[in-house]
Amino acid sequence: MALIDVDHLSFAYDATPVLRDVSMSVEAGEKLAILGGNGSGKSTLAQWIAGWLPRGTFAASEGGVTVEGRPWAELDAATRAGSVQFVGQVPMQQLSGFAFTVLDEIAFGPGNLQLPEPEIRVRVAAAVETCNLGHLLERDPFSLSGGEQQRQSIAAALAMQPRALVLDEPTGNFDPESRDALLAQMEKLPAELAIVWCDVTLGAAMAVASRFVLLDEGRIAYDGDAAGLLAHPRTAQIFGLPAVAEAALLWRAAGVWPEGVPISADPARVAAVLRPMLEEVA
Amino acid sequence: MKLDTKSLVLMAVAIVINVVVGQIAVWIKLPLYVDAVGTVLVGILAGPFAGALTGVLTNLIWGLISDPVAAAFFPVSLVIGALAGILARMGWFKSVGMTIAAGAVIGVISTIVAVPIIVYMFGGVTGAGTDFATAYLLAVGQELVQSVAIANLVQNLADKILTCLIAWLIVKRLPMRFTSGFAFYGYSKA
Amino acid sequence: MAVARPNGADHALLYVPGRSFLHRLNPLTKLALVLWCAVAAFALPPQGTIPLALLAIAVGIFAGAGKVFARRLIFTLTPLALALFVVHGMLVDHEGARAAVLGLDLSHDGLAYMVRILGRIAALLSGSLLFVCTTHPARLLKALDSHNFPPGMAYVIASPLLLLEPFTQRARAIREAQMARGLDLQGSFLTRARAFPALLMPLVTLALADIDHRAQVLDGRGFRAMPHRTVLDAPADSGAQRAARWIIVLSIPVLIAGGILWH
Repeated sequence: MALIDVDHLSFAYDATPVLRDVSMSVEAGEKLAILGGNGSGKSTLAQWIAGWLPRGTFAASEGGVTVEGRPWAELDAATRAGSVQFVGQVPMQQLSGFAFTVLDEIAFGPGNLQLPEPEIRVRVAAAVETCNLGHLLERDPFSLSGGEQQRQSIAAALAMQPRALVLDEPTGNFDPESRDALLAQMEKLPAELAIVWCDVTLGAAMAVASRFVLLDEGRIAYDGDAAGLLAHPRTAQIFGLPAVAEAALLWRAAGVWPEGVPISADPARVAAVLRPMLEEVA
Repeated sequence: MKLDTKSLVLMAVAIVINVVVGQIAVWIKLPLYVDAVGTVLVGILAGPFAGALTGVLTNLIWGLISDPVAAAFFPVSLVIGALAGILARMGWFKSVGMTIAAGAVIGVISTIVAVPIIVYMFGGVTGAGTDFATAYLLAVGQELVQSVAIANLVQNLADKILTCLIAWLIVKRLPMRFTSGFAFYGYSKA
Repeated sequence: MAVARPNGADHALLYVPGRSFLHRLNPLTKLALVLWCAVAAFALPPQGTIPLALLAIAVGIFAGAGKVFARRLIFTLTPLALALFVVHGMLVDHEGARAAVLGLDLSHDGLAYMVRILGRIAALLSGSLLFVCTTHPARLLKALDSHNFPPGMAYVIASPLLLLEPFTQRARAIREAQMARGLDLQGSFLTRARAFPALLMPLVTLALADIDHRAQVLDGRGFRAMPHRTVLDAPADSGAQRAARWIIVLSIPVLIAGGILWH
């Protein structure tokens, strides 16, 4: 059974449908990216996967999401917290507002579940280690930089020991250095943790994920590996050929792009070279 | 009475709004305090209990960060929040005219609550501008309680009417996605 | 709020870090003491409140908070003293003897009343300052948390304290941006009044916008899933302090009775 199963999900906040008949699943330990432009519905899908939707008022909703076969609505708060954790785009919005130090912020979640103190300390120590926050423990969470706040929020999520972690554009607005620092952190996450990384750009996602879902106007346009993603016509249309070329560069740096084939700055030339190469490799 | 998480977050944000809007009023040298915008907001969106609690906690926090003695006026803030919720329930925040009336009612009643505190705890003075008015009224022959009441009433009326208007303006501009999450707001929808 | 506030106050805490005996006391014990002080301020005559205030000030200086005490006491008591002098010393028709001093017609009872009020406020203020200066809100909240205080209420106290600085900074940034666009904060009353909405609306809109997301973050981390929380590094408490708290609270009726008799 899949860890998370999205079953024929359709959803609309108001008159315009945001998700149209989306079906996909997330396996335990899988590293998955959901990609799409603005308005593609990926943030909404991310929230459904994390159990943050449905909430409040909305116009229409069909289908749903189950976690290990059980619908979100059936799970109690503690089980929900231990299933899927969510980290959003704006760093300051992810802070609880309850803790005066980074240490307390990470311990906030486990404390809420009334876990015994020794266990909380173990969980917190592990999360701090993974996210490299040891030197920041006594700091006010609101005084950290955006990058540090996101790492802290990921640590806080890890302290809940979830089965899956959903991140919605976590490096939006970051400078390249902070983005790379966060991506380096992602590599240290536990192997058995499923990761769902949602983004509007290709580059970061390719560093994290091995499976890619392309969302286009609320529908899944592609669901598969990197090669197929880059070769898909909608990918170039949505993200632009330069982005596809840049992604190919990263792929090359990872050793997958064939040697001797130049990466040109001319998008048309890149496209012409790219497609047959990808078809060949695939 | 259990409030949901969203109401708690609203209250926390409203307390910050109380303090910061009051700070902005100081920046532009407004002769009014305008430090209860958030409290009224909570009353309109979440009801009298949440509004009253927001007021009380604002004073408590004010006592922690700035002036412990000012915290003694928590009954006034309590009443402002409660009244905002009660009047909202009665539909007084549907139109601008009724909002001004609500501000007047809150101004009068909050003064009535404040006067005993000022007279019995502080001897009738506040250490602020209204003391001049109080002194003047005493000099022309009024009794102490009446002087304090009249002196503070004028300022309070202006303050609370402005506060309610600002809160009304804010709420009118909030997107429906936001307000639909606060059922109590239904009483104020035109 | 009808009590004078310092202008342009920066919202740093009144807390003064230190390692004095008071700093190390459990916050709840200190709260009990503040309560006792507050009752004493009302129950006792000036012969009691003024020494109490002086004692509190001395302890405050010893705990390292002398500057804060001086500033707050002067800021609060000076305008009050002046106003009380005028209102009660001169204007209110107190019974009893009057005296002519420096050409002013002063009431003996009025001045005594002034002293009584000032003594009361001084005792109240110094007592609360002792608490506030030696107790970081984080420790107070942890102490409450570990004694089963409702987490929802703790949140509504903690969150504003944490959000105040970021939001004040944002308000300042909005002010700079608007001034760069030509907003005038120095002109006539009408000009300044028009500036008000331009300054506060963006801030309030911003503040309210992330409420939904914040609430979800809290729920996602199990907030209030259980009636109480496990607290790390809660402030130390002891049987002795618990007993002391009971004694302090139970002594309050005695304090009231004693005050009545003293008068």
